[in-house]
Amino acid sequence: MKRRFVSAILATLCAVGILASSGPAVAQEIQLTGPLKGAPAVRHLRLYRQGRLELAPSVSFTLLDEYRRTILIGGQLNYNLLDWLAIGVWGAAGAISTTTDLADRIDATSPRDPLTAVNINHSQSPFGGYASFNDQTAKISYVVAPQLTFTPFRGKLAIFNKIFVDTDFYIAGGVGFVGLQERGDCGAAGQLLCNDPKSFALASTTKIAPTFGVGLKFYPAGFWSLGVEYRALPFAWNRSGFDERGSGPGNNFPDQKINSEDETFQFNQLVTITLGFYFPFQPKLTE
Amino acid sequence: MKQAGRWLLLAVPLALIPQVAHAQKKKPPNAGAAPAAAAASPVSADADADQPTPPSAASPATPAPDSTVPPASDATGAPAGAGGVDICQITPDAPQCAVAKEVNMATEAEKPIHAEIYAVQQQYVLKAQRLEIMPYFAITLNDQFVSHNAPGLALNYYITQVLAVGVNGNWYDGLNADSDFNFQNRRAARIAVPLNDYQVSGDLNFTYVPMYGKFAGFGDFIFHYDAYIDGGLGVIRTKPEAVIDPDNRKFDWNTLVNFDVGIGLRIFFNRWVAAVVEVRDLMFFDRIEATTVAPLTTAPATNPQSPLNPATWYDPNTHFTNDVQMQVGLSFFLPTSFEYRLPK
Repeated sequence: MKRRFVSAILATLCAVGILASSGPAVAQEIQLTGPLKGAPAVRHLRLYRQGRLELAPSVSFTLLDEYRRTILIGGQLNYNLLDWLAIGVWGAAGAISTTTDLADRIDATSPRDPLTAVNINHSQSPFGGYASFNDQTAKISYVVAPQLTFTPFRGKLAIFNKIFVDTDFYIAGGVGFVGLQERGDCGAAGQLLCNDPKSFALASTTKIAPTFGVGLKFYPAGFWSLGVEYRALPFAWNRSGFDERGSGPGNNFPDQKINSEDETFQFNQLVTITLGFYFPFQPKLTE
Repeated sequence: MKQAGRWLLLAVPLALIPQVAHAQKKKPPNAGAAPAAAAASPVSADADADQPTPPSAASPATPAPDSTVPPASDATGAPAGAGGVDICQITPDAPQCAVAKEVNMATEAEKPIHAEIYAVQQQYVLKAQRLEIMPYFAITLNDQFVSHNAPGLALNYYITQVLAVGVNGNWYDGLNADSDFNFQNRRAARIAVPLNDYQVSGDLNFTYVPMYGKFAGFGDFIFHYDAYIDGGLGVIRTKPEAVIDPDNRKFDWNTLVNFDVGIGLRIFFNRWVAAVVEVRDLMFFDRIEATTVAPLTTAPATNPQSPLNPATWYDPNTHFTNDVQMQVGLSFFLPTSFEYRLPK
């Protein structure tokens, strides 16, 4: 009994001793020594952007259009203050505009009667038939967007294990000034009646909207890049030229007038392809 | 004087050491029969022509090879290391003979070295013989009339590092959303656009991964990604919404064959979990509602001109439909660990 007691005491003392001797765990920073001490993570890093001017012709395609698609030709001009931050402007003009299948169907089959007189031009065309519905659908004339471009991610891409290209991911944001051709106001005092064929003419207007996008840039060489970008340009506009709102509960019913009440919010989306050139031609290298 | 003997004893092994040093692979035992001239030659005929060999310390007085005499040959022109047999006289077309005649080591040494450095030394994730489980949510990109959002699940087994076979399925029922735009368009232009709902789709796919790479985020951390394309075929169940004649038409689900192609980007959080973004196009010939109503409104349903007759409800032509979706999800690779075949 005594022996067991002594063994227990000794075991307890051992355990206490072990616990007491084990001090608090301390992690310390690994001090790198040798030739890599103080070395940068990447040597001879190509700074494709820092201190360089980028001129990038671009072509943009609108997405999810209801009545009319637009192809915009333009370009981006950016000055890269840092390798991850640029200030610049994107500008483009609506070069090609085509109608959707829905617009063509409305033009071909929609009845021209008193019920649609405010919404669809029912005058006779000099070329036969009715005036085209497509002529009253809104168009994007131009976009000018001062913007900041933030490039948080840079890396490289291997294609088929043969082709290696430096690649960037960027986010751009700014304010867009959008020039539109939209059906003019009518129906109010002093204006044309909205069933007047002349009221279907388009008028120029400008919208101010936020714009933001994300994109990838590929650098096959030091002085040029290929980019693809998704961009959003949300604002409200009257794309069809219809009288859709303005009276009744919540102003959700037609009021025989065309005005800003008839504009509906649209999350306008574009895909842009750019071909960028950089000045000076040679990118800087880090040490 | 007594210490001189010790120094001599020490000098003997030191003198012997250089004779047992090897700068190249040990030759077979019979190679020791090579002539002394061949043994003293600075470059072996077996040497890799791309590897400049340093001059032998044992023969500092050996003259530098000139541009016309192959340094790998002895006075008779026989390649060294051939055991005294002039292999080039027996078989002049042997590859090593051509090399010995063409290679000028002085010229070769002056050439710039283009060491092959891989952009990504070792792929971060090995996918071969691993199962990928990918839950995702699909968002319609191209249908402004009805959105067909759906949760989905994909299972892919990677046969090789770049090729996988798998299945995926989407469940749309209950999430089809008719846009207000349709109502406004009907009210303003008296034009009804046929609308279709989707119930479920499933496809058998092949996936190919031609691209991979890595990004440095904020110059602070690195993450890896790959891009893939996939394609296959399967079935989708759709039915028209009764828009033109909702009083008489009640549609059932139709099972249709579809083809699908997609392109995706996978960003790895670790070696078995990744975020996935994919754009996929499901293509099929859809059956849509007829935009005209049969005229004999009082005729029985068996009458081919009755609006109650289901044969009059569908447009006689099928319509090629692209359902473009953006799928956002997570990818889990099983087993969660793997071993590289070669060290880094």
